[in-house]
Amino acid sequence: MILLSLAAIWLAGFGLVRAMFPRPLRWSLHNVFLFSLAVGTGAGLASCLYFLALLIAGPSLTTLASTLAGAVIVALAFGLVARRRATELSWAEGPPVPKYLLLVFAVSVALALAIFLGAVLFNPHGEEGAWSIWNLRARFLVRAGALWRLAFANNLNWTHLDYPLMLPGLVALCWKLSGESTAAPIAIAFLFTLGTVGVLMCTLAALRGKMEAVLAGTLLFGTASFIALGAALYGDVPLSFYILATLALFCLQDRHPADLRFTALAGLMAGFGAWTRNEGIIFVIAALLARAVALFRAGERSAILPQVLTFLAGAIAPLAVVIVFKLRVAPPSGLLAITPAEIFKHLSDIARWILTAEGLVIMLVNFGRFLIPIALVLGIYWYLVRFKVDARDRTGLATAGIALSLTLAAELLIDILYEPNLQVEISTSFERILAQLWPSALLMFFLASAPLQLAPGSAARKAKTASKSAKAAPPASGPASRKPAEHLQRLN
Amino acid sequence: MLAAVALASSFWFLLDVLGAVSHRAPSFRVADFESRFANFPKPGPENVYGYVSDNRPNDPASLSEFHLTQYTLAPATIKASANEQLVIVNYHGKSLDFNFLRAAHLTPYQDFGNGIALCRPAAARR
Repeated sequence: MILLSLAAIWLAGFGLVRAMFPRPLRWSLHNVFLFSLAVGTGAGLASCLYFLALLIAGPSLTTLASTLAGAVIVALAFGLVARRRATELSWAEGPPVPKYLLLVFAVSVALALAIFLGAVLFNPHGEEGAWSIWNLRARFLVRAGALWRLAFANNLNWTHLDYPLMLPGLVALCWKLSGESTAAPIAIAFLFTLGTVGVLMCTLAALRGKMEAVLAGTLLFGTASFIALGAALYGDVPLSFYILATLALFCLQDRHPADLRFTALAGLMAGFGAWTRNEGIIFVIAALLARAVALFRAGERSAILPQVLTFLAGAIAPLAVVIVFKLRVAPPSGLLAITPAEIFKHLSDIARWILTAEGLVIMLVNFGRFLIPIALVLGIYWYLVRFKVDARDRTGLATAGIALSLTLAAELLIDILYEPNLQVEISTSFERILAQLWPSALLMFFLASAPLQLAPGSAARKAKTASKSAKAAPPASGPASRKPAEHLQRLN
Repeated sequence: MLAAVALASSFWFLLDVLGAVSHRAPSFRVADFESRFANFPKPGPENVYGYVSDNRPNDPASLSEFHLTQYTLAPATIKASANEQLVIVNYHGKSLDFNFLRAAHLTPYQDFGNGIALCRPAAARR
């Protein structure tokens, strides 16, 4: 039953994104991308609707079930009847992926799966931060019935009462429809982890080619701490999904400047990010500023206003839900309890700045629990391959770079100004902050790096094989028959 | 090289995960802690309980066990205080330690076994 509820939520998300980018329903990069985006779209949509239904009509199962059913039917209907011409994402040209790399990718998928399953078997309720905040709130929302606002009572202020409700709302909705079980938060975490890799790989496949997509996917699946963070049932991986989806859609927007639906969907994703964690609110502002600055720097000033307005139009609905939640339900943030005198004292304490910088550097070196620091490995990769940015990707890359830098800087500044125990905060949350940005950083890295070339031996072998098959095959005029020749041309 | 580092690191991490799974440490597992409340009556949102534990004040498990109690008994409200009408006592010995209860000014009300009991403030009896 839980799987059915989640499938319905996923389908609602798919209907919504397909309504914006309709293409024939078949196995294609375009549809895989939409399916990946649908994880976050469906989750955000269902969670927002759950909260509004709870606020307006109370915790009636009939109301909640009919609201979700209505949303699924409407979204699917829109998705299936949409006939407008939409931009189709297709594979970018590039060398074919060698079999050994596909094998390595498959092994990384298997290892990631084993890590995820091992972690959730060991800790089906997630890590302490997950069950004591997100799942505890979901339990209150489901078990307290009409008294659901007890979830925000003052005696629970150790559970960070001002955190948005995307995850607890979604878990509570699944529990309400199909009974309490750890399967719901685990399945949600799994879908978000998988969806994040899907969005990363599909975006790179469309913008750079299969090789970069497979490499980035291998690296993200191979980031053990990212997979473990997903299995810990925290909100960081869902937030990383929304940050990545927003920036990926901006990059796609630059390849298809006439189709502003990419920006509208980016706004929706950023809005859902704000509904996931408070850091998502920072990201919305950072993304908006970054987009305006990037377009200004690129000399595309006429595009600034339409894109900013379209982004806001996409983000407005989830942001409205966040505002209602903050004004009507959640108590004021604990940060507001810090006096200006304390903030000034923290600001002028140089030791806090040094501690933060030191913590960041250490975390950057240790990030991901790689055997060799990943920053070093990426540095060597860059030295060998170098950056070669496609002119069409410059604005998207600038947007991503500025947005990620602003988000990271703002999060660190908040820690410096407000956090009473900075040392504990650094050791417990810095890795999670970096994990929120990691998939987007990988998108930027592989989008900027020069195309990979096959080793000469490998290229020659492939060219020989292609030439043999071209001779053996009867002449044909379809697009498939042109592929070997195109590959030969590229390899030569 | 990128892929090799990612794979080797994942494999190394997987060994850690498998090690954790095979050497189960029951004291901090949520399900095990929840099972200690198997005989405790199912609370409603209107219930408010105090909470005391015989953990040492500097025991890192102390706060986690309080959080776990709240998580287990949600939607009841659990307050880290001995001044409520009913107080949950989380004890780790074989039986309730009456010296501990006396020091906390509590009198036993009902022992549910598994280290969980309900008590009342000593003043409430008078």
